[in-house]
Amino acid sequence: MTIPLTWTQDPPRSMAQVVWSREIPSSLELKQDTMDALIQEMLDRRFIDSEEQHWLCLCLDEALVNAILHGNEGDETAKVQVQLGVEGDRWVLCIDDQGQGFVPDQDVPDPEDSDSLLLEHGRGIRLMREWLDELTYYRGGASLVMARRRTLG
Amino acid sequence: MASEHLIVQAYEGVVLVKITKERLLEAPVIAAIGEDLLKLVDRYPKISLVLDVADVGYLSSAFIGKLMALFKAVTLVKGRMAVTGVKPSLMPLFTVTRLDKIMTFAPDAAEVINLYKRKPL
Repeated sequence: MTIPLTWTQDPPRSMAQVVWSREIPSSLELKQDTMDALIQEMLDRRFIDSEEQHWLCLCLDEALVNAILHGNEGDETAKVQVQLGVEGDRWVLCIDDQGQGFVPDQDVPDPEDSDSLLLEHGRGIRLMREWLDELTYYRGGASLVMARRRTLG
Repeated sequence: MASEHLIVQAYEGVVLVKITKERLLEAPVIAAIGEDLLKLVDRYPKISLVLDVADVGYLSSAFIGKLMALFKAVTLVKGRMAVTGVKPSLMPLFTVTRLDKIMTFAPDAAEVINLYKRKPL
């Protein structure tokens, strides 16, 4: 079932149990290494199984590219923080950038709109909503929380 | 002219392109593949293009965007294209984004090649 996108100006909720954290400069060159380390951590903890790896890859890629390029506008002095935590039977990922956020209705085309079908961008969030159990933007879009029920652990 | 991630074969009016990269996640890789695919549309008038993605295991929405750019370019020159060999695990990415409504997807490249050969543009 496709989940709704939630957007608020509120600060993100505090995560009960952080199990992995990394802060990186806003450089796309560092994105893949961060993704690989995080995915391995989530596989080792049995938060996901290998069948789901491509979905996690996609969600992480969208989230990190957005944080680095759109949130921090590629400014390498600005940081992106990635935290992995546990909330009950769910894993939770929180990705923070130091940008000004965004307004989904204004800045992201609605992929359900027939006029958007031929656009070459704007599908990332739609795809994330398909797999995740929660997709919430806090601080006006500068903090992203993604969550999903743990597969095996 | 083709990037290191593409194998291009053209014969009997059909251009078969195989993407050999498993992970289509890095922006420079996606950009290079996108540019090279568009160059094929310039090189072959009214192209009949078969894009084989059987080796692709991971992709991002940026690649889907490149695919859409390619589809528009092919349509503009009154060509045709099909995407073949999409792994079942990846097919939902194309159905969710409704690309399956406007592009041709087929399990096997050979089947589309034969169809294109039988019905030249």
